[in-house]
Amino acid sequence: MSQRLFKYLKNSFMGIINSFRIKSIQFIITVSFMFITTLAMVFVGTTIYNRISNLAEQNAFINTRQIIDQVNLNLDYYLRSMLETSNYLDNIIYYNESIPNEKLTEQMNVVLNSRKDIVTLAVFSSEGELVAGVPPFKVKNTVDITEQDWFKVPLQEPANLFFSSPHVQNLFEGQHNWVVSLSRQVTFNKDGKKVKGVLLVDMNFNVIDQLCQKVSLGKRGYIYIIDSKGNIVYHPQQQLINIGLKRENIEEVLEHVFGRYIDNFGGEERLVTIQTVNYSRWRIVGIAYMDEIVGIKKDIGNYVLWISALGMLIVISISAFISAKISKPIKQLEKSMKLVEEGQFDINIDVKGEAEVAQLSKTFNLMVTRIRQLMKQIVHEQEAKRISEINALQAQINPHFLYNTLDSIVWMAEHEKSEDVITMVTALAKLFRISISRGKNIITVREELEHAKNYLVIQKKRYKNKFEFEIEAQGEVLDLKTPKLILQPIIENAIYHGIEYMVDKGFIKVSVSIADGKLLYQVMDNGLGMEPEVLNNLLINEPKSKKGSGVGVKNVHERIQLYFGREYGLQIESELEEGTNVKIWLPIVRDENPEGLLHEKNDKAV
Amino acid sequence: MRKMIKLFRLVFLTIFTVFLISCTKNNDINNTSRKNISLILRTSYGYHWGTIKMGAYAAAREFNVDIDYTSPYDEDDVNEQINLVNQAIEKKVDALILGVSDYEALSESIERAYKQGIPVIVVDSEVDTEKVNSCILTNNYEAGKKAGDVLADIIGKEGKVGIINYDKEDRNAQLREEGLISAIKKYPEVKVAAKEYCFSDMKQAYNLAKKMLSENPDIDAIVALNEVASEGVAQAVDEMKLKGSVKVMAFNSTFQEIDYMDKGIIQATIVQNPFNMGYLSVKYALDSIEKKEIDKRIYIDSRVIYRDNMYLPENQKLLFPFIK
Repeated sequence: MSQRLFKYLKNSFMGIINSFRIKSIQFIITVSFMFITTLAMVFVGTTIYNRISNLAEQNAFINTRQIIDQVNLNLDYYLRSMLETSNYLDNIIYYNESIPNEKLTEQMNVVLNSRKDIVTLAVFSSEGELVAGVPPFKVKNTVDITEQDWFKVPLQEPANLFFSSPHVQNLFEGQHNWVVSLSRQVTFNKDGKKVKGVLLVDMNFNVIDQLCQKVSLGKRGYIYIIDSKGNIVYHPQQQLINIGLKRENIEEVLEHVFGRYIDNFGGEERLVTIQTVNYSRWRIVGIAYMDEIVGIKKDIGNYVLWISALGMLIVISISAFISAKISKPIKQLEKSMKLVEEGQFDINIDVKGEAEVAQLSKTFNLMVTRIRQLMKQIVHEQEAKRISEINALQAQINPHFLYNTLDSIVWMAEHEKSEDVITMVTALAKLFRISISRGKNIITVREELEHAKNYLVIQKKRYKNKFEFEIEAQGEVLDLKTPKLILQPIIENAIYHGIEYMVDKGFIKVSVSIADGKLLYQVMDNGLGMEPEVLNNLLINEPKSKKGSGVGVKNVHERIQLYFGREYGLQIESELEEGTNVKIWLPIVRDENPEGLLHEKNDKAV
Repeated sequence: MRKMIKLFRLVFLTIFTVFLISCTKNNDINNTSRKNISLILRTSYGYHWGTIKMGAYAAAREFNVDIDYTSPYDEDDVNEQINLVNQAIEKKVDALILGVSDYEALSESIERAYKQGIPVIVVDSEVDTEKVNSCILTNNYEAGKKAGDVLADIIGKEGKVGIINYDKEDRNAQLREEGLISAIKKYPEVKVAAKEYCFSDMKQAYNLAKKMLSENPDIDAIVALNEVASEGVAQAVDEMKLKGSVKVMAFNSTFQEIDYMDKGIIQATIVQNPFNMGYLSVKYALDSIEKKEIDKRIYIDSRVIYRDNMYLPENQKLLFPFIK
């Protein structure tokens, strides 16, 4: 059952979350906290409220009961003292020799003076005649005593005491006191005979009135007293009752001797508590208004509500705070990941937040670093591979060229042109020395020019002086460093494409200079020139013909760019029937550790 | 992060403050919800006004309101009473209950209070303005009529009667007299032999009664229209040993009057219900504060008590409202 309930709650809860379509951690944490807190607060709140309000109600009941018991105790004491007074007088009267006499009056006076609350003490004969009385009031001649209850009842029921309701004592002239009368049958000696009579003790009602008036139950509650017949003995709003503005539900009270119940009288719920006084059979009725008791409950309810609301607010703000604290580094991580997704690898996240998030960030940082390293490695490997290919290509120049050259030397030898053979072989030897140059890739400009010159010498011989050449260099550039064998492919290209099919004699000029802070080689010919599309393709595509050394112009260009970057490389200007000018831009490198050193090392590593 | 903590603290403080404010506010509401009603009577002395005051306090206790009681030192000091009313208006009491000394003099102050939205309840006698929420009065005309009927009854519906009223100007006195005359007129055999005004002076009443009795020895009964007049008349009849031959119809029930009733000099008295007046004035003042509809004029019944039935329990309570 509870599982089903839980499942239902979970489903509905998730349903709410889904309907929001917000599944951020922050939202989920906040809402969960809120949900749990609300449940807890409602549960705790209602429990506390029920408990406290029950206690308050019980307390109100107990308080009312205690107050009424107190009143009862006081009334009891008061009535008992009356009773004792009457017992005492009864005794005196019984043993008095003959009544009336001075002694009895004196004794009665002592009692009267010792008790301020006693208004009158009087003894009447069974015919209703005043036998003795203090203070010595005159009995009204208009009153028929024998018709009055306090006189009749004790004579009829000698064993019982008679307590009257409060009334105005109208026996004596000029006296109109509110009293409670206690009367009992007494026996006294008259003319030597024992005769019956009635003892009357009038107590000032004021005492009871003051006793009860001070009592209040709550703000508006009060007590009242009824006698056994339901007549009101005391009521704080006696006058209102007299004139019928107020009523009490006496019928229902009469059904109870002791206890409490809640009645609805005059449109108001009241707690009625009843206690019966000894001797007189009076009933003390306590009236407390339920709305005051309920008012306390309401106050408690409000208080609990406020506390709950406050607690909820605090918990919600704490949960918002915690969830924000948790989700913030995650969001940051997410942002960083997006950047990585876009290709930025130079990101390092500040490692912050909770242990898990910190771990995550750390791992993420490690991952990005690793990716960065791998990327670099790949780039390097690719470059190295390229360079190695080029180196291999470089090596390929030699046999092809060598066969042709050797063929030419053989031909020259056959025709006994020993001078030329010497020139050719010398040039070839020099060419290879520089070409190999102990495996170095970087040589001086001087050596490069020497290599170009030897190549040109060999080619000029092979092409039977079909062209002339000139090498021009400023003295300051000769000791600068340069990648080797970059001029040769350009010159080869100039010969094969520019000079070879020329009718006139060709001319090739190689020059080296410093321009715009860069090293500039220029290879100029006066050959056929190139068409624009050929020119445009020259640096982008591999040449289709495999004629020549096979090392294309493009290779030279790429090699330079690989070594030195994109601002360097080849620049070709060509015009049909006019010739071609190839400019080779290189950085000025003076010492042994140029930028390209790293590449050189990598080359060696590969 | 620091920003978050700051924000959190701020939120917490705000909640705490709101909580505190709400707590103190609750207390305020509890304190101010107790209504304060100003009760200004003509005088503190005498059975009649004392009982009105008692009734008001009984109601205040029942309805849980505060009563601010004052009265002029001298019963006829109208200016003093106007001052007291103005002070109460300045204090912005929730309601005003007035037992006025004068029919006209207080109208201006009462209208001012009414304009300021302070409910005004007038007890015992009327005022010369309509700007009061309610008048709670003994129906003096009816009381007079009752006195007339009882008087006619006592003398066997024929004979001569004398009237001693207490004031010519007083509105209540006028009404009582009008009621009395209208009742007497129903009995053609009953004649008014003499009419005098004692101006609430017992000595004067005594003298007037003596004079009236000696000038008109055939008078069967005298009716006195308030307690002072009643005591004076009873004293005169007692001293002239005319008990039995001249009946006395009295108003109200002072101890003197009750003694004379015991002696058989006063045959019957009209008892008002001042306690009821005081009680209802507070009740209706509260109703007015709560903007409930109440009657403009509320009459409190008076009652006739005869010598024979004065010690019946219900009459005891009317005749002896004070517990001594």
